[in-house]
Amino acid sequence: MGAWLIVALALAFGAALATAALGDRRWSGVVSALAAVAAFAVALVAVFGYHVSRGRHAFGSAFFLDGLSGIFLVSVAFVYAVVAVYSAGYLLPGIGHVRLRRVYWPLLNLFGLALLATPIVANLGVLWVAVELTTVVSALLVTAEGSDPSLEAGWKYIVIGSAGLAVGLLGIVLIYAAGVPRLGDHYTPTYSVLAAAGPHLNRALVHAGFAFVLVGFGTKVGLVPMHAWLPDAHSEGPSPISAMLSGALLAAALYAVLRLGAVAQLAVGASYVHVLLLVFGALSLLLAGFFALRQTNYKRLLAYSSIEHMGIVSLGVGIGGPIAAYGAFFHVVVHAAAKTLAFFGAGELLSRFESREVDRVRGVMRAAPFTGTMVLLGALAIAGVPPFGIFRSELLIVTGGFQHSKFALAGLLVLFANVAFVGLYQTFHRMVLSRGDRDERATPRLTRSEQPLMAAAMLASLAVVLVLGLWIPGPLNELLHGAAAVIGGRT
Amino acid sequence: MHAAPHYDFAHATAALLAIAALLSALAVLAVKQVHEQVRVYAVLSLFAAGYTLLVGAERADVVLIVLGVWTAVIKVVVIPVAIDRQITRQISEHEVPLVVQVPMSLLIGVALAGLSYWSASALPIHGALLPSPALGMPLALVLVGFFFMITRQNVISQIVGLLVLENGVFLATVAIAPGLPFAIGFLLLLDLLPAVLFYGVFARLIAARARGTSIEDMAVLRG
Repeated sequence: MGAWLIVALALAFGAALATAALGDRRWSGVVSALAAVAAFAVALVAVFGYHVSRGRHAFGSAFFLDGLSGIFLVSVAFVYAVVAVYSAGYLLPGIGHVRLRRVYWPLLNLFGLALLATPIVANLGVLWVAVELTTVVSALLVTAEGSDPSLEAGWKYIVIGSAGLAVGLLGIVLIYAAGVPRLGDHYTPTYSVLAAAGPHLNRALVHAGFAFVLVGFGTKVGLVPMHAWLPDAHSEGPSPISAMLSGALLAAALYAVLRLGAVAQLAVGASYVHVLLLVFGALSLLLAGFFALRQTNYKRLLAYSSIEHMGIVSLGVGIGGPIAAYGAFFHVVVHAAAKTLAFFGAGELLSRFESREVDRVRGVMRAAPFTGTMVLLGALAIAGVPPFGIFRSELLIVTGGFQHSKFALAGLLVLFANVAFVGLYQTFHRMVLSRGDRDERATPRLTRSEQPLMAAAMLASLAVVLVLGLWIPGPLNELLHGAAAVIGGRT
Repeated sequence: MHAAPHYDFAHATAALLAIAALLSALAVLAVKQVHEQVRVYAVLSLFAAGYTLLVGAERADVVLIVLGVWTAVIKVVVIPVAIDRQITRQISEHEVPLVVQVPMSLLIGVALAGLSYWSASALPIHGALLPSPALGMPLALVLVGFFFMITRQNVISQIVGLLVLENGVFLATVAIAPGLPFAIGFLLLLDLLPAVLFYGVFARLIAARARGTSIEDMAVLRG
């Protein structure tokens, strides 16, 4: 298993070096796409080929995979793969900006490397470094197009994200200090070591430490009220990067919260961790739902939808019990696929209409039937319409809520899932299905046929979110149960 | 009998360094010039490096001593010089517009320090050499750093605020988890350097685009 993990990391790192050497060439896209797809395949082998659900170490205590890390590794590797394939089409000569193409590929692959490393490193300090690396690299990617708003968005992101991560690090230090009386001054802070010492950790320090972790890493997750950077970064970055931020980066940061939450619940009990996750999750669901309704920029609308979905995952874990936690982790997987599809569609709209404003986009279905279909299906998928996977995951969380007599929270989720549906459907229906020929400002600036690689990436995302809505393969089912047993599933 | 004077000296020096670090953090709030802010940060980092060296010497921990020297090189010399040379010489306005004026900033800073000591007193933990509550000073630096970032409408000042905040986290690590493996402490410092250089490049780009480093010059994203 360890060898496969090394291969996955080496593929991303090798692609970063190769594309830096190649520079602005068509081959950079090909190399990146091949490396990312291979890394995804290797990640699947590492996770499903070794039955990691109950937890396995590799290379001494360098890597650790269990159900929780397996779910997040598969999700981020999938997003890295489809984003690289989509980007190979998006940035073909003549489509993107020259400046963007030059820096894009090495940074994308470094971003992929940091995302792949986050869920598999065993040492919690190294986990923090991996998350910090995602911030530095992705902030540069957000500014890659070089526009003034993208610069502002990148600045907000780096400042707020770094401050949040500093607080997250303080949380890790406190949790480390909580183990000193039991484990001694010098110990390696891996999950296994801390979990084994769980009941003997200093409770007061773990209480404080997890609160700092949740606020700190929660800033990167985009949980309300620490979400200020997220709508700007998601809306101003290149669309494939928006997809990677939403589908993978937020999940990777959430992984850090949940991994440390798993340690905390062993020391102070599950209810403390659950209550904090419920508070931030419910707040995110509530406020993002309201903000999403008033957006006139379709990429910002998708960004607020990401905040809402991270709130749903937090809520699912916070409700507790095997069903809701299972649903929450399933939500991570299907949200990754659905949101990449939605942002890929948004990228196509932006290329064709050269505007992020909803009122400037009309008649997509008439101008580009394939793009129109993908955009509409993407919107329906993230809105949680059956038979897409998000409907299934939300249903599982609501069922878990009712089972644990958390009726108000289950009701809140049902209510805001409907609010999200109304907001998303109204907006995307207007852009895709209304006639565009009456408003000259809202007609496509660029007419071209669909690029095959971009179409392939969109179809792959669509296939995942659709198939998982209808059928969950056995190995994934086992992994989801494994993840739920680590955190959330304990009561 | 022989160890007692050494023990007292170390504790007294650590307490003095903690007070000096806290006063330096408050002094950052009192200066308006970006150059001065960077220099005060360098002084604060000197006290942080001194405390790390003291803890390392008292525990006879070579790793902490190396970390202390490394901290001094990076935070007292390299980062301030990098910021000073690469950023502040390229901007026209050197006085930072303040959302909260200096007297009120200092009052709020003192209140934040009090809040930090009060909250830290609830945590049952002994810091390396520091008087109880050990986390009071590091938490105060974190809060003052946050406050500074929020109330200084200038990208370079925001970098300084972030660095003050990071110093607070670093001091917390040395104070309550001095055994945290060297690799992590070293990685954190290595992580800081490219991050600061990146901030520098970023700040220059923003200054070039917006014809200044004021945050207000570039605020177009809303909602």
